[in-house]
Amino acid sequence: MVGAFEFAPAIALLPLAAFVVALVFGNGMPKKGAYAGILATAGSLLLSLWMLATVAGGEVYNEPLYDWAIGDEITFHFGILIDPLSALMLVIVSLVALLVHIFSLGYMNAEGETGLPRYYAELGLFTFSMLAFVLADNLLMAFMFFELVGLCSYLLIGFWFRTRSAPSAAKKAFLVTRFGDYFFLIGVVAIGATFGTLTFAGDASFVNEAQSAIDAGETFHGFGAETWVTILGLLVLGGVIGKSAQFPLHTWLPDAMEGPTTVSALIHAATMVAAGVYLVARMFGFYALSPTALAIIAFVGGFTALFAATMGVVKDDIKQVLAYSTISQYGYMMLGLGVGGYVAGVFHLMNHAFFKALLFLGAGAVIILMHHEQDMWKMGGLKDKAPVTYYTFLAGALALAGIVPFSGFWSKDEILYDAIILGLEEPIFLVAYSMGLLAVFFTGFYTFRMVFLTFHGKPRSEAARDPHPVGMNVKIPLIVLGVLALLAGVVNLAPVGKIAGMDIMFLEYWLDGQYTEGMTGLTYSEYSDTAGLDTTYIAGSQTITLLIAGALALGLALAGAIVAHVLYNVPEPVPHTENLGAAREVLRSNYYQDEVQVWIAQGLAMPTARMADRFDQSVIDGVVNGVSSVSLFGSGGMKRLQTGVVTNYAALIVLGFIALVVGLGVYGGWFV
Amino acid sequence: MAVLEMPELTALAPPMILALTALVLFTYDSINPRSTNRPVIAGVAAVGSLASLAVAVWFILAGVGTPVAEGGNGVFDLFEGQLIVDQMALFFMIIVGVVTALVSIASYDYLRDHAYQAEYYSLVLLAATGMSTMAASNSLVTIFISLELASLPSFALVAILKSNRGSVEAGLKYFLIGALSSAIFVYGISLVYGATGHMQLDAIADNLGAAEEMNGLLGIGVLMLIGGFAYKTASVPFHFWAPEAYEGAPAPIAAFLSSASKAAGFVIAFRVFTTAFPLDVMQTLGIDWSLVFIVLAIVTMTVGNFAAATQNNVKRMLAYSSVGHAGYALIGLAGLTVDGGELVLGAAMMHLLVYGFMNTGAFLFVALAEYWGVGRTFEDYNGLSKQAPIACVALAVFMFSLAGIPPFGGFWSKYFLFTGALEAASANPWLLAVAAALVINSALSLYYYSRLVKAVWIEDPVLERESLSQPTGLYAAIVVAAVMTVLILPGFGPVADAAIGAAGAIIP
Repeated sequence: MVGAFEFAPAIALLPLAAFVVALVFGNGMPKKGAYAGILATAGSLLLSLWMLATVAGGEVYNEPLYDWAIGDEITFHFGILIDPLSALMLVIVSLVALLVHIFSLGYMNAEGETGLPRYYAELGLFTFSMLAFVLADNLLMAFMFFELVGLCSYLLIGFWFRTRSAPSAAKKAFLVTRFGDYFFLIGVVAIGATFGTLTFAGDASFVNEAQSAIDAGETFHGFGAETWVTILGLLVLGGVIGKSAQFPLHTWLPDAMEGPTTVSALIHAATMVAAGVYLVARMFGFYALSPTALAIIAFVGGFTALFAATMGVVKDDIKQVLAYSTISQYGYMMLGLGVGGYVAGVFHLMNHAFFKALLFLGAGAVIILMHHEQDMWKMGGLKDKAPVTYYTFLAGALALAGIVPFSGFWSKDEILYDAIILGLEEPIFLVAYSMGLLAVFFTGFYTFRMVFLTFHGKPRSEAARDPHPVGMNVKIPLIVLGVLALLAGVVNLAPVGKIAGMDIMFLEYWLDGQYTEGMTGLTYSEYSDTAGLDTTYIAGSQTITLLIAGALALGLALAGAIVAHVLYNVPEPVPHTENLGAAREVLRSNYYQDEVQVWIAQGLAMPTARMADRFDQSVIDGVVNGVSSVSLFGSGGMKRLQTGVVTNYAALIVLGFIALVVGLGVYGGWFV
Repeated sequence: MAVLEMPELTALAPPMILALTALVLFTYDSINPRSTNRPVIAGVAAVGSLASLAVAVWFILAGVGTPVAEGGNGVFDLFEGQLIVDQMALFFMIIVGVVTALVSIASYDYLRDHAYQAEYYSLVLLAATGMSTMAASNSLVTIFISLELASLPSFALVAILKSNRGSVEAGLKYFLIGALSSAIFVYGISLVYGATGHMQLDAIADNLGAAEEMNGLLGIGVLMLIGGFAYKTASVPFHFWAPEAYEGAPAPIAAFLSSASKAAGFVIAFRVFTTAFPLDVMQTLGIDWSLVFIVLAIVTMTVGNFAAATQNNVKRMLAYSSVGHAGYALIGLAGLTVDGGELVLGAAMMHLLVYGFMNTGAFLFVALAEYWGVGRTFEDYNGLSKQAPIACVALAVFMFSLAGIPPFGGFWSKYFLFTGALEAASANPWLLAVAAALVINSALSLYYYSRLVKAVWIEDPVLERESLSQPTGLYAAIVVAAVMTVLILPGFGPVADAAIGAAGAIIP
C-alpha cells in the first residue's frame, strides 16, 4: 500500500506552512494567524490518526527521503520512521498542539495580547520541529530538530521580551539545555564515527552495529564495546537530561514559566520536555545494551522525581507547582525506562501529556479567571464560580497524584512495579524505587494543596470574588483533556490484566509490535531480551507483588492528599510551610541549585574563560598581529625595491639572472 | 565538416583577422587622418577582435587542433612546424580575443578627448596579433618575432598619452627594460641554437642528445629564455617594468598588458618547455628547469603580493597583484613532472582565462575611475558605491575573484592549481612549499583586495562628489567581465576539460 505513509511528511510540513502563513500574513488575518495554526494542527492530527490506524493495520514505514551529504563512509539523510512508538507520539503531539492552539484563542486573543502573529508563527514552528523530531529516522536528523525545538522554546518563553524576567528565563532555558545538547552533539558524532551509521532502525542501524560489536567483543579507543556503548549512551543522555529537565539540568524549567501558560502546556506536555524522554524511548534498543546506562537513567530519574516533588511542596505560584511536578513526573518516566519498563515509561509519557496539558491549560483558565494573578494565596473559592475549570482541573490533579482510577495511577503504578521487581534483585534499583515511592507522597500532597488553595475555601482577593468569565474555546480543550485524563489509563490496565488474566494490556501489545508485521528490533520484548535484567517477586508471587506495590503507591498518594486536605481544605488556610523552619528556606531556594550553577559559572567557568581569553589575546592575537606586522614590514621592503630608477632595475634584473645561473649551474653541475 | 577542407592557412584565422583589422584601421587613418570618428574606429576594432574570438571559439568547438585520433580535425602544422594550431593555441587565442574585445569596447569612452584614435586601436590590434601568433608559435624564431610584434606596439601604447609625463616616462622605462630582456632572450635563442643546431621546438627536443657536451651552454641559454618569458609575464626578477608601465599607461592598456600580454608570455613558456625541453631529458643533462620555476613561482607570488599589500595607489596595487598572479600561473610549469602534470598545467591555463576576465575588469574599473576623474588612491575611491552601485558590485566580484573566494571563477582556478600542486608533490616534495606559498599569499591578497571593496562600499567619501556619468562602453565591458567571472563557474566543467585537454595534448 502506497497511500498513508506517502503523506507522512505532511504531518510535519503543515505546521511549517502555518508558521510561514502566520509570519507573513498574520497581521491581516482574523485572529492573527490562529486559524492557520488550528487548521494545520488539525490536519496533522488527522494524518497522525491515519498513520496510527495504518500502523495498527500492520504496517511500519522506514524510508530515507533525501540524502543531503554523501560521503565515502557515512551518508547523512532525512528520512521517516513510523512505528508504533512514533505513531503514538505523533498523535499525542498533534492533539496537544491543536488543543493549545484552540485554547490560545481564549488565553491570548481574547486578552488583547500584542505580537500575536509572532506567537502563532512560533507555535507553528515549534509544532513542526517536534513532529519532525518524532518522525526522524536517524539520530542526526533527530538532533537537528531537537535543536530547533530548543530554539522555539527559547523564542516562546521569551515571548514577552519587554519584561525583565522573560528574556532572562528564555536565555537560561536556552543555555542550560544547550549545555546538555553539547554532550548530545558529541554523542551523535561519536556514534556516527564509531558505527558509520546514524539510523535508528533497520538492519544497518547503529543499534544493530553496536549489538554485533558487543557480540564480536570489539574494542574502541581502548574501551570494550559495552563500555564504549555506555559512554556513547551517556553522552546522548546529556541532551536528554537538559531537555527533559532532569537533575542537575532541571533549573531552567521553573523559570520557563515566564512564557505564556499555553506555551508551558505545550512545552511540558508534548514538545520540549517530552523530546528528551522520547529520544530515550526511540533509541531504547541502544540503551538496553548497556545495563550501566540503564541504572544511571533509573537512578537519575528516581532522584529527580523525589527531589523536584519536595520543592513543589512550598511553592505559592500555581505555575511553579506545576513546573516542579513536571520535573518530578519526567523523573518517573526516566525511572521507568531505566528499569527496562519501556512500556511503562511510554505509558506515563502519554498519560502525562494529557493530564499535564490539562493542568496547565486549567491553570491558564484560572489565571484568566483571576485577572492574571498567579499567587495561590490570593485565590480560593473558585470551585463554585467556575465548575468546568474546577472539575477538569480536579481530574488532572487526581491523575497527577496517581489516584485510582485516573490515568496517572496506572502508569505510575506500572513504573513502580517494574522498579520494585528489579530492585529486589539489585540494590541500586531499590534505592531508585524508594525515592520514586516516597515522591508519590509529596506529589499527592502538593497537588491537593494546589487544588485546595485555588478552588476551595473562601475567596482571598477581589479578583477571586469576581472572576473574569472564560469562553468555550477555553472550556472545550479542558473537557477533552479531562476525559482523557480520566480514561487514558484503560489502554494498559496491566495490574488488572495480570491479576485477572485478561488480555487488556493494549499498549504493551502495541509497543511490542503484535499488531504490526515484519517489525524487528524495535519491540518491547526484544528490548527486554537485550537488557536481560533479572527480576524477583515478593513472596515469589506476581499477584502479591502487584498488590503490594499498588497498595503502597496508592496509599502514599492518598496519605499526601489527606494531609493536604487537613491542612489546607479549610475556609481560611494559613501557610503551614512556615512550620518547616530552616527546611522551608532550603526548599524555597530550590536546594540552592541556582546558586550552585551561578557559582560554577562565575567561580569556575569565568576564570577559565579569562585564562583562555588571555591566551587568545596574547598568544593567538600576538601571532596574528605579528604576522601582519611582519607582512606589512616586508611589504615596505618590497616596495623599496622599486626605486623608479631604470638603471637600478637593469642591475637587479642582471643580478637576479646571474643568481639563477649560478644556483642552477652549481646544482646541475655545469661547471665541472 | 567544412573546416576539414579548408586550406591549412585558414587555421591561423584568429590572428589573421586581428592583423587585417589593424590594416583596415591603418587604411582608414591614411584616407582620413586625424579622424576622431570614435564610433567607427572603436567599432571596427571591437568587431575585428570579436570576430577573431568567435572564430577561435568555433574552431575549438569544431575540433580544430584536436588530434584526429581523438576525433578532432587534427593539429595544423604550418610552414614546416614554424607555427602550430593546436588546442592550447586556440585556448590562448580565445583569451587574447576576449581581452582585446573588452579593451576595445572600454576604450571607446576612455579615449573621448584623444587625438590619436585610429593609431591607438591599430596598435592594440597589432599587439593582439602578435600575442595571438605567440600562441601558435612553434619555433624560437617565430616566438621571437611574434613576441616583438606584441612588444613594440605595447611600448607605444603605454606612452600614447603624449602630454602626460607619467605615461611617457612609463613608456620609456618599459622600452628600456624590454630592450634588455629581448637582448637576453635573443642571446638565449642563439645559445640554444648553438647547443642543438635547431630553432624549431620539436627539432630541438630531438637533438638534445647532441648537447650533452655543452650542457652548461644549453643551461645558460635555457635560463636566458626563461628571462625572456619572465619579462613578458612580469615575473621576478624581470617584473620591474610592470608597476611603472601599468601605472603610467592608460588604464585600458594596463588591462590589456596585464591580461593578454601576460597570457601570451605564458603560452610560449608552456610550449617551449613542454615541447623543446622535456623534463626527463633535461634532468639527465643537469638542467632541472622545474626547480627554477618553483623558485620563481614562490618568489614572484610573494614579491607581488607583499608589495601590493600596502600600496595606496589602486592601479599600482593591481599592477603588483598582477605580478602575484604571474606567480600563481608559474605553478603550471613548476608542477610539471617527468610523467604528468596536465592537471596543474591545465589549471594554470584556466587561471589565465579567468584572470583575463577578472583582471581586465578590475583595470577597466580603474579606467572608469580615471574617466570620472575621482583620483588614484584608495581614499579617492571611498563611497563610490553610492553613485555607481552596478560598477561597484562588479568591482567587488573582481576583487573577491582575484582573492580566490568562492563562488567566483578565481576560486576554482586557484583551487585546481592548489590540488594540482599537491598531486605533483608526490613526485617533487618542493611543490609542497609552492602550495603553501599559494595559500599564504592568497590569504594576504584578501587583505588588500578587500581594502578596495571596503573603500567603495563601506567608507564615506572624503569629498562630496557630483553625480557620476555612466559611460556605455566602459560599463558594458565591466559588466560583461563581471558576468563572465561569475558565469564561468557553472561553465567551469567544459572550460576545465578544454584546458586540461589542451595541456594533456602538449605534454609528451
